[in-house]
Amino acid sequence: MITQTSIETTASTQQFYLNGTGIVNDEPETINKIPGNRAVWVGIFAEMTEFALFFLVYFIAKAHYPEEFNQGPLKLNTLAGMLNTFALISSSYFVAKALAEIRLNNPEKSITWLWRAVFCGGLYLVIKIWEYHWNIDQGITTNTNNFYTVYYYLTFNHLLHVFWASGSLLWAIRQLKFGNYTQQHHIGFTAIACYWHMVDLAWVIIFPLLYVLR
Amino acid sequence: MTKSVATFNTLDASWLLLMLVTSANAFIAETAEPSLAITALICGSIAFKGRRIMDYFMELNHANSTIQFFMRSYFHVFQALIFLSDLFAEELAQITSL
Repeated sequence: MITQTSIETTASTQQFYLNGTGIVNDEPETINKIPGNRAVWVGIFAEMTEFALFFLVYFIAKAHYPEEFNQGPLKLNTLAGMLNTFALISSSYFVAKALAEIRLNNPEKSITWLWRAVFCGGLYLVIKIWEYHWNIDQGITTNTNNFYTVYYYLTFNHLLHVFWASGSLLWAIRQLKFGNYTQQHHIGFTAIACYWHMVDLAWVIIFPLLYVLR
Repeated sequence: MTKSVATFNTLDASWLLLMLVTSANAFIAETAEPSLAITALICGSIAFKGRRIMDYFMELNHANSTIQFFMRSYFHVFQALIFLSDLFAEELAQITSL
């Protein structure tokens, strides 16, 4: 009887922790709960509000200077914007994979996925710096016109978020290495993952606003 | 230690879809002339990408309903604002003139 119960528990535990396979609704950590902790969600909503204000400024500036906002995206490096989007989406995916691995009690694999996410974060920063240099070579600076002022303000602000969020991923790697995040206890890790996804979400709006829409 | 099974799951599918939609957006940026239809298409892609990231990467699809509501609303409101600010650009300029 005990053996039977033990087998059932193991089977259900395996199901519980298999995130990304369509049975996330069975997962006790996420169902009807706040992912991570309340503190990180206060931070996330504060950051989302900050970006919301930037977006409102964009709408108003675009309404006042339609020609500048129509021509502006044409001179930007769309390839750099696209590669940055690829880097951020991939990093978010890697973070989700890392979280799935710790739920499977695979800390080493979790660390590997996190390093991939950090690499993508670093890649984003390198691409962005290259893009800024490319812009300057094309004569595009913060004072060129209102579109580029908004562009630099939004993208540099977002760049800072990627920078310190990458630092939080490094912190998560450290915690995993020291055994502070485990299969049973990784709320801090979930909170860091949520923050990283928020940074990705902000870029999901920024990319089309600045590079695609005219 | 539990062995992870290498299968093509929801996370993998989400990543692939997000990359495809991003590529389509970049293609539109390089080729399409601005129009309301293009703006509507881009708004749709923003909503799709945001929802996919929130539901599957952030795992909000079965999380706390308040957080779910605010996060989903954010993306619905902003994609609507992008479209409306394009549709009523002149009116917006008028009401925001000092």
